[in-house]
Amino acid sequence: MKPEVTTVMGGYVGTLFGSILPHLNSEYSMGDTGLMAMSFMMMAQEYDRAADIRLQENEDMRAVFAHAADIIDNADLAGLLRKAASGVDASMRVHALNAANDELKAVLIELHAYVEHSKAHWAPELEMRIWSVICAGTERRKLDFPKLF
Amino acid sequence: MEEIATRFAAYLQHRMPSASDVTVTDVSRIYGGASRETYRLNATWKEGGAQKSRPLILRRDPVASLIETERDIEYNAYVAFHPTGLPVPEPLYLETDLSWLDRPFFVMEQILDSAAGSPFNEDPYGVHAEAIGEQFWTHLGHIAAADPKAIGFDKNLDAVAPSDCWRIELDKWEKVIDEDELCPQPVARAAIRWLRRNVPTPAERVAVVHGDYRTGNFMFNGAGRITAILDWEMCHLGDPLEDVAWAADPLWAFNNPERPGGMIARDKALAIWEKASGMKVDEKRLQWWEIFNSLKGLAIWISAGKEYESGASREPILAFSSWYCTDVHNRVLATRLAALNAEARA
Repeated sequence: MKPEVTTVMGGYVGTLFGSILPHLNSEYSMGDTGLMAMSFMMMAQEYDRAADIRLQENEDMRAVFAHAADIIDNADLAGLLRKAASGVDASMRVHALNAANDELKAVLIELHAYVEHSKAHWAPELEMRIWSVICAGTERRKLDFPKLF
Repeated sequence: MEEIATRFAAYLQHRMPSASDVTVTDVSRIYGGASRETYRLNATWKEGGAQKSRPLILRRDPVASLIETERDIEYNAYVAFHPTGLPVPEPLYLETDLSWLDRPFFVMEQILDSAAGSPFNEDPYGVHAEAIGEQFWTHLGHIAAADPKAIGFDKNLDAVAPSDCWRIELDKWEKVIDEDELCPQPVARAAIRWLRRNVPTPAERVAVVHGDYRTGNFMFNGAGRITAILDWEMCHLGDPLEDVAWAADPLWAFNNPERPGGMIARDKALAIWEKASGMKVDEKRLQWWEIFNSLKGLAIWISAGKEYESGASREPILAFSSWYCTDVHNRVLATRLAALNAEARA
């Protein structure tokens, strides 16, 4: 699609704020329109990075699972981790990446809860590594708030 | 809007039997108020040979909303606080008969010549930031200092023990996440586990908690005076530090948590609150409520996303808050919890 989607989204935002919103006479419609315009700006950010964010996050989680599976003292959980770590993202469609991301996050929650309660020597380092993956994910997903007001 | 005007005029006529020729004009829906439909309007009528008019606010239950709450508890908060001198609109009528406007609603005074600041504006109060900040934290202190029983706030509310405040709120919002999450939430789940591992000390005393006291939920006039504290839909009895932490949450500070709500510096804010409430800020307990409130925020945004996704409501604010606010609170919580856990392991 040319022009680039991000360019078109930005253009639409300009049209909404510059040409449409000033001609609305209902406060509620103006509020909805302004919010939709800001949402377009977030969609533009997400369009470009959505697959990359999910791919990276999925790889990070699989790497932690592979590492954890070799050191934790719970055979059932280790088996679950090995299975989750062996997955691959065969499709770059966001829908498919999201499905994998959801499955991996469910495993991450289980692992995180287990490690938090562990007094084993490996637990502090593994817990820090889990937090590192989580924090990196929240930073990657950060949406820049459009300064419009 | 014409239908609302006609039906609401009939309602007012019913509530004011000595009035005649009741008409309702200038009906417009106010943006925001994501938990209820809020309309401003003007009512005129004849009474005792005189023509009278009054600008009013109508708050009607929505079909679906950001926060599901009981309107009678919200209405009663206005009833309880209006006589105390706290700036709240005068409550007028609470109506649960669905025949009037299809859904329950209440009516209150419209505050004129005032506006609310946007939580998404880096500098919502401009030159009035200091003055408004002092009032904001003083009013919150006065809310905390109020005797819930003496002012009638506790009507229809279960008694709460000081040691149970945290558990009641955490159970409530964890349930919202359990029911509404559209995908697994590692940050929210880690927060819940942290909150349960680090039980706070009991509340200094059980007080009125506004539940959503922040930038955007009060009005101020051109002279920099707070004229109305609004949006009591999440009010309850609990630990007053819950409100302090919510008011100081980074989401409302637009990336500057040292200046809560875009008003005054955090240290000064807490000192003002202590003086007005007569209570001390226990930093450890406040930290618990800060983590809790970011989790509560997450629960609200997760719930908003569920409402939108399910089609129960297609209000853009639900999708927007589910995207943007979830993103902020996930980041805030992850950063804080990672540091707290590292500290605990050290």
